[in-house]
Amino acid sequence: MKIKVHHGMCQGHARCYSLAPDIFQLDDSGYILPGDIAVPAGQETLAQRGARSCPERALEVAED
Amino acid sequence: MATRAAGAVVPDHVPPSLVRDFSYFRGPEMEPTPCGHPQAALSFVHREGPAIFYAPNNTYDGRGTWVFTKAEDQRAVLNNTEVFSSNRGIFKAALGEDLPMVPLEVDPPDHMKFRALLNPLLSPRRVDAMEAGARERAVRLIEGFKAKGTCEVMNDFAFPFAVGVFLQFLGVSDDRRDEFLGWANEQFHGTLEQRLNAMRTVVDFMKSLIALRRREPADDFVSFLLAAEVEGRPLTDKEILGVAVLLFEAGLDTVAAAVGFDLYHLATHPEDQQRLRGDKDLIKPAVEELFRAYSTIQMLRTAVCDFEYKGIPIRAGDLISCPTMIANRDPAEFPDPDRIDLARDNNRHTAFAYGPHRCLGSHLARRELIVGLEEFLARIPTFRLKAGSSPITYGGYVFGIENLDLAWD
Repeated sequence: MKIKVHHGMCQGHARCYSLAPDIFQLDDSGYILPGDIAVPAGQETLAQRGARSCPERALEVAED
Repeated sequence: MATRAAGAVVPDHVPPSLVRDFSYFRGPEMEPTPCGHPQAALSFVHREGPAIFYAPNNTYDGRGTWVFTKAEDQRAVLNNTEVFSSNRGIFKAALGEDLPMVPLEVDPPDHMKFRALLNPLLSPRRVDAMEAGARERAVRLIEGFKAKGTCEVMNDFAFPFAVGVFLQFLGVSDDRRDEFLGWANEQFHGTLEQRLNAMRTVVDFMKSLIALRRREPADDFVSFLLAAEVEGRPLTDKEILGVAVLLFEAGLDTVAAAVGFDLYHLATHPEDQQRLRGDKDLIKPAVEELFRAYSTIQMLRTAVCDFEYKGIPIRAGDLISCPTMIANRDPAEFPDPDRIDLARDNNRHTAFAYGPHRCLGSHLARRELIVGLEEFLARIPTFRLKAGSSPITYGGYVFGIENLDLAWD
């Protein structure tokens, strides 16, 4: 599974990082790093939960 | 000729069909209510409509506001900073002092330069580094009352915890905690005179702290602000004071209220308490769901020009209220919104607001709640409301809970 990151939409809520700090990486100001995220096997549910909690809809769940 | 409703003036441009008798201060369960549920009490607006209405007497000082009830409409307002200004001159109105809280009362584009400066200080990663101190504080407080079999959450835990973390962030010694607690209590819960006195005291304290750090820099927050630059110039004393005062205003009552509401929920919903005790991984999503269900703040904006939104005529100077506790129970956004489901998925709540002014301290607040609940659940056995006690809840500008007596065996 992959998470597409719409970097320009991120407003730094960091809800994704709060739920799954190992999957979603932030810069020093607390915004998501650009670039799609390959979700490690077994962490799909956590990644989905993090992506779906984004108030800006900046994270999109995509199957491989 | 302006008409009057519920004892307050309705401006000419407001269609009478959109006027509702609604108040965060005097509506059902908004005044102090034993065992109340003020957030749930406001859910009726979604059933009765209209989605946007005018409440003629809906501020502390008796002014009218538009109330935007739908999450989608609130997002539209909060993202449109050119029309809807966040600068309300709160301290100017209260103290006669031109002291904008920075960056809350600074609109874009200037807003962004202060956010860029401050974001790293309260980023999630920086908060990671502050977690150990917050946890130690929570543990010390909880161990202090654990053996008694009872506690009053607000005074014994929520406020000392929130104030302690705040002082640590500010770089002020813990031995001033009781003094700060007193100011916070008077400012947020006192009479009008107490409120103004406490605001003045806080401003004077911050002024003296800034003067001290100017003479004797340290490795702390105010020293950071004194050394910082925006657009190639140092911050003015007024800007530094505005940041420091905002931290006090935003970070104390809100965090304490959330701790109170969350423990109130777990004390009165034993099945949820058991669920969290059995599944520690659920605490993080549960904290988000509790933020959604027990949101405590409203965002107030002032229209700076005439504007029509979905056919509603808004005039320059109108106040627009975007209550998080109402948007977060919007059925268009959350299935079965009044049901509290600790594992709720797709939980796009806006308890920390939305748009450029999104709460700067949200990451720290969230961590305080997670750490607070983790330690409380780990150290205190199954708890309940103390027999015969009634927690008093209230609405208003920041929703809250006055007292919460818990007991355990």
